Amino acid sequence: MTAGLLLSRAMPLVILALAWEAAARSGMVSEYALPSLSSIAASFVKLAGSDLYYHTARSIWRGLLAFVVAVPLGIASGILIAWFLPVRILLKPVLQCLYPMPKSALIPLTIIWLGIGDASKISLIFLGTLVPIVMSAFNGARGVDQTLLWTARSLGATEREVLWEVVVPAALPEIMNGIRTALALCFILMVSAELIIANDGIGYLINLLGEAGDYAGMFAGVITISAIGFAADRACVALTRWLLAWRE
Amino acid sequence: MTQALDANGAPFAGTLGSRLRGDAERWRYALEAIGPFVTIGVILIAWEVLARQQIVMPFLLPAMSVVVARVFEDLVSGSLLYDTAVTLYRAFAAFAIAAVVGITLGLLIARLAAVRWFFDPLLSIGLPMPKLALLPIFMLWFGLFDMSKILMVAFSASFQIIIATWAATQSVEKELVWSARSLGASDRQTLWEVVLPAALPQVLTGLQIALPICLIVALVTEMIMGGGGLGDTMLQSARYVDSPGVFAGIVEIGFVGFFCIKGMELLRRRLLAWHQEVQKEGAR
Amino acid sequence: MSAVPAVAATADHAAVATQGIAISGVTHEYRPPRGRPVLALDDISLDVPEREFIALLGPSGCGKSTLLYLVGGFMPLQQGSIVVGGRPIRAPGPDRGIVFQNFALFPWKTVRQNVLYGLEKRGIPRDERLHRAQHFIDLVHLTGFEDSYPSQLSGGMKQRVAIARTLATEPDTLLMDEPFGALDAQTRTIMQDELLSIWRRSPTTVVFVTHDVREAVLLASRVAVMTARPGRLKEIVDTDFGEADSAEVQRSREYADKVDYIWSLVREEAIKAGAGGHL
Repeated sequence: MTAGLLLSRAMPLVILALAWEAAARSGMVSEYALPSLSSIAASFVKLAGSDLYYHTARSIWRGLLAFVVAVPLGIASGILIAWFLPVRILLKPVLQCLYPMPKSALIPLTIIWLGIGDASKISLIFLGTLVPIVMSAFNGARGVDQTLLWTARSLGATEREVLWEVVVPAALPEIMNGIRTALALCFILMVSAELIIANDGIGYLINLLGEAGDYAGMFAGVITISAIGFAADRACVALTRWLLAWRE
Repeated sequence: MTQALDANGAPFAGTLGSRLRGDAERWRYALEAIGPFVTIGVILIAWEVLARQQIVMPFLLPAMSVVVARVFEDLVSGSLLYDTAVTLYRAFAAFAIAAVVGITLGLLIARLAAVRWFFDPLLSIGLPMPKLALLPIFMLWFGLFDMSKILMVAFSASFQIIIATWAATQSVEKELVWSARSLGASDRQTLWEVVLPAALPQVLTGLQIALPICLIVALVTEMIMGGGGLGDTMLQSARYVDSPGVFAGIVEIGFVGFFCIKGMELLRRRLLAWHQEVQKEGAR
Repeated sequence: MSAVPAVAATADHAAVATQGIAISGVTHEYRPPRGRPVLALDDISLDVPEREFIALLGPSGCGKSTLLYLVGGFMPLQQGSIVVGGRPIRAPGPDRGIVFQNFALFPWKTVRQNVLYGLEKRGIPRDERLHRAQHFIDLVHLTGFEDSYPSQLSGGMKQRVAIARTLATEPDTLLMDEPFGALDAQTRTIMQDELLSIWRRSPTTVVFVTHDVREAVLLASRVAVMTARPGRLKEIVDTDFGEADSAEVQRSREYADKVDYIWSLVREEAIKAGAGGHL
């Protein structure tokens, strides 16, 4: 992307930022409702060294742990459910029940089971992100073109080789879609749970600052986690593009 | 003797066919059809046994019978209906707002380059963002009651609708528009009578994706802010370690969600009935 | 367990029994999970001598592809027997290579990697693998595209990769399921010529499924015309034009006559298939 194109795409944001700053400074809007960007930036700097860093790190740590476990487990489960009939008979109904359920309904459940500390948040994110990944791996594996499977077999591949060398790569685009969805869900569950009830974490900090009346700080926190969520998604897209370079 | 297996683990037949082997396919389908009922049945029975025998502590896993009883209790006492009504009111109000704003904006973005230029980066940033993180700001701006909930839900769902409408409008085949023009249709007529109907399927898909989002976000805002509704009730149950209440809530939410999605599917089929017929005719 | 094809033993048949394909009494039903079974193939018996290029021709739904898949071992045999190279079919294998209409290339592999796949499965040492793969890539005139991905290739090029990949394992039998159906007319003509020249150079048995009469008569030495569903063998027509050049063959009187004759056979069946109202 050329510099000119980048600038053109960024312009609307710049315009909004300027409008924001102008509106905040002019006193048209209450200073509480809309802190000026400069004061938010100042808050950000003040908090960044200490609270912001600590709480954000705690949230990210929990989310990352849950996600990193959910991804391989989800992919493996989805593909196994798709490939082996006995597994499918057992687990597909479970999957079909869990998939349409709103994952946020799990929040009170994990609170009962594991309290309000790390364990409940991690298990929440783990369970919530597992389902879309399993679903996408399942769909990806089921959707593999039969002619690809037949070709591999006719070229001498064993069933195990067909699974590893054809089904998995063929399902990968769908799997990456599922991972992207799961990633967004990870952040939503992370923030939601912490806004509801928590001991620490970025959501907890945002609540704290809001209740203390430090709205500039609150905005800084909100912007931080939004930016991280956005960056994570971009990273996922970039990874997808790299893994699936052959798609052109 | 090495035997190759097909994708479902069934062995290939040898040279001499037999009715049994040919029927293997049918057995497989039959098993897959019955499977769900058996599995779910087993799970439900296991649930009841585990709970009753206190193998798992009751506050972790209340017996299924207890949970079902609680659901009926809620139904009878009217609290289920009240909560459902409150949550659905918020979710649907937000859905309506998101639909109107989203479809309008999507259309404008597709047709006017200036609008597109302005909103494209905003959409790119907004879509993957955890929009719920903005809830405290919404609470600051819109108060502590329904308005901020509804607006947060609408905000969360609108992105999907905008993008789906944008894509749908853009992908209306040029040929359709040109045909209409050459037959004398004006700009406005082309929009309402050609573009919108052609874009309808994809727009409806966007709406179908947005509906569950509305439900989920409505639930979460209730959990965070209180104020009645299924989410609030369920979280209160968690606070008071009322496990049957939490499990009952999950079951109730499951049903509500299921009916909403089914309702949306039916609506889609109704609205697109003409579309499928046209597609069948046009098929090679 | 070897089945004995129920055909009188002749010298020709002895040759077929050791090599070539012997299809005997093959019947196949589609058994959908709901609804009644549909008879797809009805008692098909066909002998294909070694190294013959035979076309299976018929209207849509006549079961020609089904028969091909049965020979390939992709579907379980319900009734009858299929013996290839003296051994009854049990499963797919590299002795029967297949080329599909949709190319079935592994999109995540390059051209070279696709062609190497079958060679890797055979356990051929690395240097020889690369050498052989290159040979077949050159054979189909794709030199220089070894590191391209299928998404970067045209339809004709993709089909060449598919053919190279299948040929690389040097199968005794080549099964082709309307391989040129997805290509435009010009590319199709070029590919037909190339296929003929490849086959003449390293003759394998070829079973070629098509619904295009002209293509069948041009390429094959025999054309097996099938009836509308349920598929039976209607007639087998000899269409051997020897080593003659394709363009010349297509200008000849003999070619036109054969095409007319076979088309009249197919037309009857195509009308029946249409009247049946089935896909």
